[in-house]
Amino acid sequence: FSPVSAQFDLKTYWTSLIKEIDQKLDEAIPVQYPQQIYEAMRYSVLAKGAKRAPPVMCVAACEIFGGDRQAAFPTACALEMVHAASLIHDDLPCMDDDPSRRGQPSNHTKFGVDMAILAGDALFPLGFRHIVSHTPTDLIPEARLIRVVAEIARAVGSTGMAAGQFMDLEGGPNAVDFVQEKKFGEMGQCSAVCGGLLAGASDDEIQHLRQYGQAVGVLYQVVDDILEAKSRVEIKGGDNRTAKSYVSAYGVEKAMEVAEDLKSQAKRALDGLEKYGERVMPLYSFVDYAADRGFSIGESV
Amino acid sequence: KVGTSEEESPFDFNAYVVEKANFVNKALDEAVSVKNPAMIHESMRYSLLAGGKRVRPMLCIASCEVVGGQKSAAVPAACAVEMIHTMSLMHDDLPCMDNDDLRRGKPTNHIVFGEDVAVLAGDSLLAFAFEFLATATTRVSPDRILAAIGELAKAIGTEGLVAGQVVDLSCTGNTNVGLDTLEFIHLHKTAALLEASVVLGAILGGGSDVEVERLRTFARKIGLLFQVVDDILDVTKSSAELGKTAGKDLVTDKTTYPKLLGLEKAREFAHRLNVEAKEQLAGFDPEKAAPLVALADYIAYRQN
Repeated sequence: FSPVSAQFDLKTYWTSLIKEIDQKLDEAIPVQYPQQIYEAMRYSVLAKGAKRAPPVMCVAACEIFGGDRQAAFPTACALEMVHAASLIHDDLPCMDDDPSRRGQPSNHTKFGVDMAILAGDALFPLGFRHIVSHTPTDLIPEARLIRVVAEIARAVGSTGMAAGQFMDLEGGPNAVDFVQEKKFGEMGQCSAVCGGLLAGASDDEIQHLRQYGQAVGVLYQVVDDILEAKSRVEIKGGDNRTAKSYVSAYGVEKAMEVAEDLKSQAKRALDGLEKYGERVMPLYSFVDYAADRGFSIGESV
Repeated sequence: KVGTSEEESPFDFNAYVVEKANFVNKALDEAVSVKNPAMIHESMRYSLLAGGKRVRPMLCIASCEVVGGQKSAAVPAACAVEMIHTMSLMHDDLPCMDNDDLRRGKPTNHIVFGEDVAVLAGDSLLAFAFEFLATATTRVSPDRILAAIGELAKAIGTEGLVAGQVVDLSCTGNTNVGLDTLEFIHLHKTAALLEASVVLGAILGGGSDVEVERLRTFARKIGLLFQVVDDILDVTKSSAELGKTAGKDLVTDKTTYPKLLGLEKAREFAHRLNVEAKEQLAGFDPEKAAPLVALADYIAYRQN
């Protein structure tokens, strides 16, 4: 893999996808009456510097099996909408009580708690609606879209991301693995799986994507936490998040071991897709990016 | 007697309601089981199984049957619309929204489980409604299931429930709310989901485009009717009779139909909506349309 890996330019691939996805998201939420709710939704979905990792993973997974990128965009956008919805709700005062996100005031800080709850409530169904109304059904059979909707609903629901958020608040012994898997792994898993479903991947291939996405989703977060912990030593203080991370539970050393393990898990999962050759490169190089952060992406300059 | 009809009808509405409500309650009970983490699922079940009237599921099933579909085709959709209805009540009751402590005669979800769980359980019910509709609907063609998913999504978001709640919140304390705005609120807050209930049933039951649209108009009329009657009951009934905090709309200065039109005019408006709704059912087999006729009457003449 490595010689090809060196040739594949993830940054270019990713950056060009971000541009397209941002534009499609912008078009997907035009401001109408009552204006304030659309503005609240747009504020979080179109936040500057968003990396769009879930949509990119979805598109990349779809393209492995020869799926059409255009046909994957509506689902990719939907992933970003439901992702934004759960982040908005996670930040609420009755939850993590985070006044800011990505260096900007969080949704409820800007629009009020009531509007933030409703913006989340509106973004979940908008995601599903967007898939139904924007996916060209001459390219993707309806039955596949139904599976995509079910997959996204499962991922954000009571045994998925909502469960992770609940355990994060609730605590309890050994909660950290559960919280990380659900809060961060589900979104990665769902993103990769949706791409495969759209392209008509086999059940076995979907299973590989599931393992891959799960591992990368958690890896991405663990590395974020490690980097943040390291920078906090330098800058000191600033963050009072109570989130259960590997770093806060076991310390940086152990978190780095976990990251190493997740990295090899993710790559092993892709071995099962070897026959697709170079087309697996985007997902493959994404693992290295998640682990090493070799370049910066999506940051507004 | 529930739902005193104006005209004599051989259709036994009471028996129908009891049978269908039991059926729907059982289906909902089975659909949402307690999984890990238990508390979210208990919170979901607490509100979902709190004994609502199940008007939306009944409309969904009746609409499926009126176009000639089998009841089984509409059962997951019937459950889904009730899940959505429940989650919207859970979120509307939150302290930052309408701040209600009482719902259906019981403490509201956040009073029992806390605000955090009430938000998450509401989100979970929203998601599960789609998962259940997508996975549990059998023997219906995928294009119809997908259309149903699209209709349900439209009814919830910024062109439905959420839009209604947003405008409702922005009008609280404002005494200058006009009829247009009031109607916007109710068409979105109440009628949209009743419409989706009926339309989902018609789509999944195999209805033609013309049939679906006729039933959509029927649903919009009874949706508005539902809210007009709710407003009337709010000024004429006590909290104990309603099982929720009565008169709250007046206390918080919310505009209501009786306030805007006067009680008599509001009642006339309700009557007209009921008549117009039933006109939409003229083209259907009268026997199969009987439950929808009776449901419209029930909405018009209910006492709580």
